[in-house]
Amino acid sequence: MPNKKTKSKTNSNGNRARNGASRSKTPLLAKDARKGAPTPVSGLRTYSIPDMRLEHPDLSVRQSIEKDKDGTEHVRYEVTGNLDAPVPPIRDSKYLDKKQCIEIYRYMLLNRKMEVALENLYKQGKVVGGVYFGLGQEACSCASAYALDKDDWFAPMIRNQGSLLVRGFRASDTMMQYMAKADSPTRGRDGTSHFGDIEKRNMVSPISMLGDLIPVLAGVALGARLQGRNVAVMTYIGDGGQSTGVTYEGINFAAVQNLGLVLFVESNLWAYSTPSEMQYRCKDLAERAIGYGIPGVIVDGTDACQVYDAARDAVERAHRGEGPTMIEAKMMRMKGHAIHDAAAYVPKPMFDFWKKRDPIARFENYLVKEKKWLTAKENAELISEVERMIEAEREIAVNSPMPTPESAEGGVFCEDGCHEIKPKYGMPKVTKRTGGYKETEAAVHLK
Amino acid sequence: MPDTTRAPADREITFAQAIREALAEEMRRDSTVFILGEDVAEAGTPFKVLAGLLEEFGKERVLDTPISEAGFTGLAVGAAMTGMRPVVDIMFGDFVTLTMDQMVNQAAKVHYMSGGKWRVPMVMRTTMGATRRSAAQHSQSLHAWFCHVPGLKVVLPSTPYDAKGLLKAAIRDENPVVFFEDKMMYKLKGPVPAEDYTVPLGVADVKRVGEDITLIATSSMVQVALGAAALLEEIGISAEVVDPRTMWPLDEKTLIDSAKKTSRVIVLDEGYERYGVTAELASVVATGAFYDLDAPVKRMGAMHVPIPFSPPLEDATVPTEQTVFEAARTMCGK
Repeated sequence: MPNKKTKSKTNSNGNRARNGASRSKTPLLAKDARKGAPTPVSGLRTYSIPDMRLEHPDLSVRQSIEKDKDGTEHVRYEVTGNLDAPVPPIRDSKYLDKKQCIEIYRYMLLNRKMEVALENLYKQGKVVGGVYFGLGQEACSCASAYALDKDDWFAPMIRNQGSLLVRGFRASDTMMQYMAKADSPTRGRDGTSHFGDIEKRNMVSPISMLGDLIPVLAGVALGARLQGRNVAVMTYIGDGGQSTGVTYEGINFAAVQNLGLVLFVESNLWAYSTPSEMQYRCKDLAERAIGYGIPGVIVDGTDACQVYDAARDAVERAHRGEGPTMIEAKMMRMKGHAIHDAAAYVPKPMFDFWKKRDPIARFENYLVKEKKWLTAKENAELISEVERMIEAEREIAVNSPMPTPESAEGGVFCEDGCHEIKPKYGMPKVTKRTGGYKETEAAVHLK
Repeated sequence: MPDTTRAPADREITFAQAIREALAEEMRRDSTVFILGEDVAEAGTPFKVLAGLLEEFGKERVLDTPISEAGFTGLAVGAAMTGMRPVVDIMFGDFVTLTMDQMVNQAAKVHYMSGGKWRVPMVMRTTMGATRRSAAQHSQSLHAWFCHVPGLKVVLPSTPYDAKGLLKAAIRDENPVVFFEDKMMYKLKGPVPAEDYTVPLGVADVKRVGEDITLIATSSMVQVALGAAALLEEIGISAEVVDPRTMWPLDEKTLIDSAKKTSRVIVLDEGYERYGVTAELASVVATGAFYDLDAPVKRMGAMHVPIPFSPPLEDATVPTEQTVFEAARTMCGK
């Protein structure tokens, strides 16, 4: 996020200063702090994290042990805080116009309706394995991917199935993956939304090991830069997944090399059954950006406009070659980890609180009632168009054949002419240097 | 092609120089080739294998990384996806444990899992080999771990000639290749042509022709086998030494043909003998030459202990010329 863009909004957007930082200045990095902020008293450094949210939920979850009649102990979670806080409005976007907002809204609808269709396919016994949902996270998935330019790259996580739709994949692609069909993008070799496209949509397939995508995407940015291009590379990590070591390694490398990583930390409060209170100790994960020496920002992950604006700022920063940005999107995972998980461990009042903050209902209200960019009739037509489309996609997916057992073998290696290997953005330019290297005594580290 | 079919080179260079020459030639030939790893640039690695490459190719193509093996191996996977050909340097073979997730779960699987749509043309260079008095965390030979994974090619050069030709072939390959260099061989000298050549992956080489027993040996064990063969010759046993050169793809035919000819086989490898590559190679021979064998195939590898530090202890853990000689003599009944 470029400093100047956030400064003017500082007072209105509820930025909270940290360590005594002045409210009027929100320097993002140590060197900016030295330049812009008042001289700190007693040598305290002043950092702050821009917070775009229009509310700051104060809910906290704690573990309690409950004994049943037999004396057996069970772990329960309790939520405390202001559960009746009013629902905040949608923040007007700095960048998005009417048409773009409606387009994002449509993708969010597609995202949700596709997942409803997947749930039904599962119940009909047509899905192989489980189904993963991004319920409550559609604004984050769709508005973030919408901020990318055509040449940018991204890699979704399992709950970002909406990002794929924004980048031009069809719902039937994801449905066929779930049903392990021969026509699925991976020809039945991988499932769920684990597929990618290197030719047109620049999507790296999700990797099951959490955090692993971060260095891979940083590597994409490195490869592109060696070929003379600064591309933005967007990926996501949850509040659970960010605990992994490789998350640190990837962000650190991107920071050191000024690679255009746009990292969404999706704080959706539950990592499978483990609450975020048991994943990390800092108040907000965006604070970790300070440790990496990169900008960090907090957005309401249920507000498509906030997500888009932060993503767009980060993407432009990446295009300028200025390095990575960490965006923490706060929201709640509104279903279990996957379809098999009823999420009984989540206190019900928490679901109730976040249900009122449903990203689609709020965006619909914003577009129809507040902005009046959609009439009720237009909205109803849009919804039924999306439903018809999903039904057509479902038909295509269901009718695809299963792969033949004979096709399991082969294709492990890329052999003779299987692929043309060429740089995506052209051959790297080589600086002319005089002569070859000088021979030196080899292996000096040997005894 | 095997050494024997080539005109002899008119110069000798070390194994380390051969590696450096291969990298430099490939980097001159193809601007998508670049090196990344810890202390590869100014330091040129602790073994000075890369010394001078920074000066010729610049810091963008000889890239020092933060200490983060998992991170920069993942980075190489991403860079390879964009059409670059990264050569990852893992300082000690023991540190490959930190990269297993990236190599096994990413690099090896991308092509298959994507239904053949993606490829990762990267090379991971690392070291192996004991007897450097470095104890158990700097002395292991862990190549068998990678051999177990479909989607990875595994290369173990045993001479400067093979090192240059195999590394050039590895860099040109469309798939992830793990390239193990025995650190005790960096100073080994041998004939290496100054011109461009490759040694194809998947072609074994008969390093010494013999009649009575076959010693199938990899990497550092090739020199041990050749030494043992010289000792065996003194007592009238003619030993053939066959070097598979790549664990995958594996040239099964050359191994089986030699076994059929000599009827006795010892398989030598510096990795752990238990569940190691010797087991797979012995199985290939036992199955393919069953009716021609006069004795069960014998395997010799590292002792099943963490490599100890003290010289008398460490030397006892790996096969030597003497132990191979004794085993071969016993097998031949002399």
